[in-house]
Amino acid sequence: MICIENVVKTYRTRRGDVKALNDINLRIEKGEFVVICGPSGSGKTTLLMTIAAMLHPTSGIVSVEANNLYAMNVQARAKYRAENIGFVFQMFHLVPYLNVLENVLLAGGTVASKNKNAKVLELIEQFGLAGRSYHKPAELSAGERQRTAIARALLNNPRIVLADEPTGNLDTENATSVLEYISQFHKAGGTVILATHGVEAERFADRTINLHNGSVTDSDKS
Amino acid sequence: MTILGLIFKEIRHRKINFMLGSLAAVTAVALFVAFVTTGSAYRRETRRIMRDMGQNLRIIPKETSIDEFWSVGFSEHTMPEEYVNRFASLKGFSYTHLTATLQKKVLWRGMNVILTGILPEVLPLDKRNQKPMTFSVEPDTVYLGFEPARSSGIKKGDKIDILGKTFTVVECLSLTGSSDDIRIYGHLHDIQNILNLEGRINEIKALECLCIIESGKVPIDPLVLAETQLEKILPEAKVILLQGIAEIRQKQRAAMEGYLAFLMTVIVVVCGAWIGALAMTNVRDRQQEIGIMRALGYGSGKITLLFLGKSVIIGLLGAVLGYLIGTTLALNFGPDIFKVTAKAIRPEYILLAYSFVAAPAFACVSSFIPAAYAVSRDPAVTLREE
Repeated sequence: MICIENVVKTYRTRRGDVKALNDINLRIEKGEFVVICGPSGSGKTTLLMTIAAMLHPTSGIVSVEANNLYAMNVQARAKYRAENIGFVFQMFHLVPYLNVLENVLLAGGTVASKNKNAKVLELIEQFGLAGRSYHKPAELSAGERQRTAIARALLNNPRIVLADEPTGNLDTENATSVLEYISQFHKAGGTVILATHGVEAERFADRTINLHNGSVTDSDKS
Repeated sequence: MTILGLIFKEIRHRKINFMLGSLAAVTAVALFVAFVTTGSAYRRETRRIMRDMGQNLRIIPKETSIDEFWSVGFSEHTMPEEYVNRFASLKGFSYTHLTATLQKKVLWRGMNVILTGILPEVLPLDKRNQKPMTFSVEPDTVYLGFEPARSSGIKKGDKIDILGKTFTVVECLSLTGSSDDIRIYGHLHDIQNILNLEGRINEIKALECLCIIESGKVPIDPLVLAETQLEKILPEAKVILLQGIAEIRQKQRAAMEGYLAFLMTVIVVVCGAWIGALAMTNVRDRQQEIGIMRALGYGSGKITLLFLGKSVIIGLLGAVLGYLIGTTLALNFGPDIFKVTAKAIRPEYILLAYSFVAAPAFACVSSFIPAAYAVSRDPAVTLREE
């Protein structure tokens, strides 16, 4: 279970402080598929990054299975991310000088496990990237890049997948395909938290949380 | 995928950055090697020039009056020849090239000449490997000054008679425009013999007596120190220190050392700043990778290793190429600049070992700060700024 208590995140800018998250309180159950909806600037990405142990909140507690993420030191948080979190970004964030195979395998460098190479090949096959294994990101379509990013996110068998606008740069066909892959992970028992400003992901979700100006405005069960 | 594998893939991807970083390291090492290799030639050359200015410590018989000494050019009194050996055995005194002479003005073939007997240079115990700076004269031979040779029409190889003894002329000296033009140089013992002054000299000259530091600590007036030390062992002598020559020599040496140190500092600082700026640019270019790797759970140590590993490769490449280029430059251009000591310019192999250690360490230090800063921030902040 993910528990977010009184989380506030304020960014300091030259033009003054910007409150991205304003006293957020949330509980997300294990195996739940939650969609966080809201317009640009509502705090979706900040909330996801905070849950992913990638961004210190200004105040408040973020805990997963009763572990307070920000009470851990940097190395422990990195280990936690490697073992538990799979993150899918809107901008894909693939390493430009590594090919598809190497980009997926990069995630394997943080967790000791057997048959890593076999798992990479299995994921590449599963995501329809077998013919593109040795292509660099610059040689891939947007859909292929995002599928590569999802394969990378799933390599270490994470318990939680956090996806930040994963379909934001994709056409409808590729967007549906990506959401289906994420849905498959959810159906296999994984927890998914997906941030989007569209509505297409809501049909896969157990619950939709609406964010506006850094505050939760309502939370609907699908 | 190994860290080394990632480093090489990144180098292939960002060739220009790598080439510029390597160029900075190669330049730094090449300049260092070239300056150090030619620097020793420069020191030797300067020493040679300074040495040619002549000896600056003169020890003369105690009863000599200063007005007499400077008006005649030498003392008309004598002291024991044995003093030169006593002086040579003195410890804690930075002298060298001791020359004992006996000079006397005589009338020879109707002209005034200065008969000058010279003993071969005496070197202190700890400086026995030094080459003599003054010429020595073999027994039964003479070096003839310009005027006696010219006025008598004497040539090299001629036999001449001086005060009843026959000598062979081994050299007729060229015009110097000084009192040396009326000198006849012979071996000290020959001159003592014809002047009936066996075992006597009237001057000991020595070089380089300014850089004296008593007990290795406090510099004191070298003339005072020389007088104090020599008074005990040479009671019949007095000391004249030619401050001008000594000071010029000292100042020139200090200026040379200071200039070399300044040049090396400038080279090291400029190249360090260059490598640091490139490392900073590289870190900025790689914000996305740093963010991705941190998001994937890579620790800051592994990510820092990616940057430092690249710096080590740049440093090693800089060490090898820089050493080769620096040595080639020194060997090709050094002999043209330092003609007198050209043969002494050789490859300094120890510099390759120094470069192998210093260049990677230097490159690592330059890139450590930007890398450490990049990995110290939250991954989300790094990705957001990308």
